Amino acid sequence: MFRQLLRNAKERLRLFLSECRRRARVLRERLRQQPDRTNPSSRFVPGFLHGYGAREARGFELLKEWLSPEQLAQYQARSYFDVTGCHSGKRYRISHGNSMNIHELDGAGRPRFGWCFAPKGYLVAGDVMLAQKIALETDERGALAVANKFSVPTGRRNTLFDC
Amino acid sequence: MATQIVMDRTGDTRHNFDAKNADALAKAEERFRALTGAGFTAAVRTSSGEPVVKRTFDPNAEETLFFPRLVGG
Repeated sequence: MFRQLLRNAKERLRLFLSECRRRARVLRERLRQQPDRTNPSSRFVPGFLHGYGAREARGFELLKEWLSPEQLAQYQARSYFDVTGCHSGKRYRISHGNSMNIHELDGAGRPRFGWCFAPKGYLVAGDVMLAQKIALETDERGALAVANKFSVPTGRRNTLFDC
Repeated sequence: MATQIVMDRTGDTRHNFDAKNADALAKAEERFRALTGAGFTAAVRTSSGEPVVKRTFDPNAEETLFFPRLVGG
């Protein structure tokens, strides 16, 4: 009786493993037939990522040209830079990124809120940060009028804001 | 040589022109109007490096930067 059960279990296991091998073979074959899955032109917007690295570098060069010496030093050291709003005089921190990367700072330099706005279209991070800087320094009210505000978690330590 | 830099999905496109050439200047002004009409913001840098937004074409600007309309993220 026990031997019979053992034999049945062995046979089932053999069939199961055989089916797994067959499925793995089919899956491998399908992946091989697919075009290069990392091909940048096949992602998101056609052609957007093609040459992205070069454009990203150009965007940062442009950003660096337009940052003040203090902002540039801060950005190179910490991957963010501070700007002063032209209307309110408030300080904002623009961190490296394309979205949700602006924080309004309080008097002690801690983040109070986050603001999210960016130029329309698909731009590299350097271009986005430069547009955000110019907007806050020249038309703060206009920029914040289109921006979405988000809260900043205060419960946990955010190393980005350790000065 | 003056430059108009337009941010776009290809990175940025630079249009260099001779500001002393009347034809080139007219084309640059036309480009300025077309871009600002399409919602782009034009900015130049002062001698101290501060950005200033331009609503009208500045024939003396050495470098004008155009970025697309801002939208909430």
